[in-house]
Amino acid sequence: MVAPSRAPLRADRLRALNVPQPVAVECDVEDRPQTVGDVTVATVLESWRIDDEWWRQSITRCYHEVILDGGRRVVLFEDVATGEWFAQMP
Amino acid sequence: MPQRPTSSLAACVWIPLFPLRCEEARREGLATHPTALLAPDLSRKLWQVSPLARHTGVRPGMTVSQAIGLCPTLRLCEPDPVHYDERFARLLSELNEISPVIESGELGLAYLGTDGLEGIYGTPGRIVEVIKRTMERWYVGTSEAGSPFHRSIFPSFRLGWGLGKFTAWVAASRAKSGEAIVVPPGGERKFLSVQPVAVLPLDPDTHRRLRQLGIRTLGALAALPEEAVTAQFGAAGRQLWRLAAGHTVEPVVGRNAPEPIVAALTFFTPVGERDLLERALDQLIARALKHPRRIGWRVQAVRLRADLESWGGDEDGGRGAACCAPTNRSWLVTALFKDPTADAARIAAPLRTRLEQAPPPGAVERLVLELTAFAPGTAELQLFARDAVAAARAGQRRALESAAREIQQRIKRSCLYHVIEVQPWSRLPERRYALIDFEP
Repeated sequence: MVAPSRAPLRADRLRALNVPQPVAVECDVEDRPQTVGDVTVATVLESWRIDDEWWRQSITRCYHEVILDGGRRVVLFEDVATGEWFAQMP
Repeated sequence: MPQRPTSSLAACVWIPLFPLRCEEARREGLATHPTALLAPDLSRKLWQVSPLARHTGVRPGMTVSQAIGLCPTLRLCEPDPVHYDERFARLLSELNEISPVIESGELGLAYLGTDGLEGIYGTPGRIVEVIKRTMERWYVGTSEAGSPFHRSIFPSFRLGWGLGKFTAWVAASRAKSGEAIVVPPGGERKFLSVQPVAVLPLDPDTHRRLRQLGIRTLGALAALPEEAVTAQFGAAGRQLWRLAAGHTVEPVVGRNAPEPIVAALTFFTPVGERDLLERALDQLIARALKHPRRIGWRVQAVRLRADLESWGGDEDGGRGAACCAPTNRSWLVTALFKDPTADAARIAAPLRTRLEQAPPPGAVERLVLELTAFAPGTAELQLFARDAVAAARAGQRRALESAAREIQQRIKRSCLYHVIEVQPWSRLPERRYALIDFEP
């Protein structure tokens, strides 16, 4: 039997991509990331802030795009509500 | 044009003296005698020499009479380049089952891209084992008799694995017959430092100069300042230094091999006259260019091969050599066009030149023309090519579906996913895309 072409997507079959991974971050006095785990941050390329979904559960994040020692580029963010840090692919 | 797949981690498969090994595989008894293969032109000089023949002083490039003078029991073989080419193509096809990224070098030399294969096979050592098993399967297929004797000359291949083609090639060239050397990532520099400079792609003059400077190993070369080597040997020296120091990682670049367009002509009686062959060539080119799949595309590479009239060994018997049993002989030329063309005269020109300069060393029974690589034509011509592109896309889709089914059967669960857009406009990166099972 051929499945109908307009069959709805099943949410349970979806797998999220680029899920934030918790990381340990230490910041300098200006609240800019200094180390990520055991690796030192070489450069902070860009920083920005997101305030979203205030109409339900508010999401407030401070993002930093950084280059680590060794050349790896990572996007870090701090969940302002909980103070936890996460890493994401750029 | 689709982008070619690449891979930094490389496995190198090397079968030294590949054409000679093909002859040994199809003729019983040859491997136990000093053997030489004649060059595939009219020079009648030796092309490849077996190790047993080499012990008696016979070298490639010698004339037949010189070789017989040194080794009266030498067995001479007529070359069959089409057979070697087919065997090598079959080997590449077998290796393609392991990795989709395959790059071929000269006959008997192939690189496999192994990026991502650890998820399927495991460690590099296991990947190498899989390649070994594939080589054995290919070899049994190559041996026409498949007898234990044929297995006895197996294995004649060498394997190397490492980061980049150069490291993999050096590892394969240093491996013992039938064995493999795996250079772990990060260990390239240490491994390369003890290798002789002869593993570098050197011209004889540079090799001589390096020897005169007392530089015997890659480590000794890499210990010199890069600027000093560049000042002494120029840009080529810089490249050599970077290879020796393990700074250059040449990736394996996969091939996009389209299905060739083939046109063939069988002669009622074998033809030796060049005029007749040229006329037949013109007919074949015209026929191939008319093929529907060619419409809208220009030809970038072409191959002309000929099956030659079988020829016994009586003539050489008079010269003292024990000659091989008569087998199929063949002739093969290829031409690459820097400027791809759909013009019959321009396609014929290099093939006519080869017919004149290095004609088939015998009467031709069958002439086959293959258009093997293509480049897009002008925008107007491409309008006519859309059917061909659609057909190619459908073929790729079928291949993908078949591969997905095979993976599902082997692993018992779906491991292939589509990336779909969920909220591509979202400011939260994890909300933009998701994976969903790919079901063929």
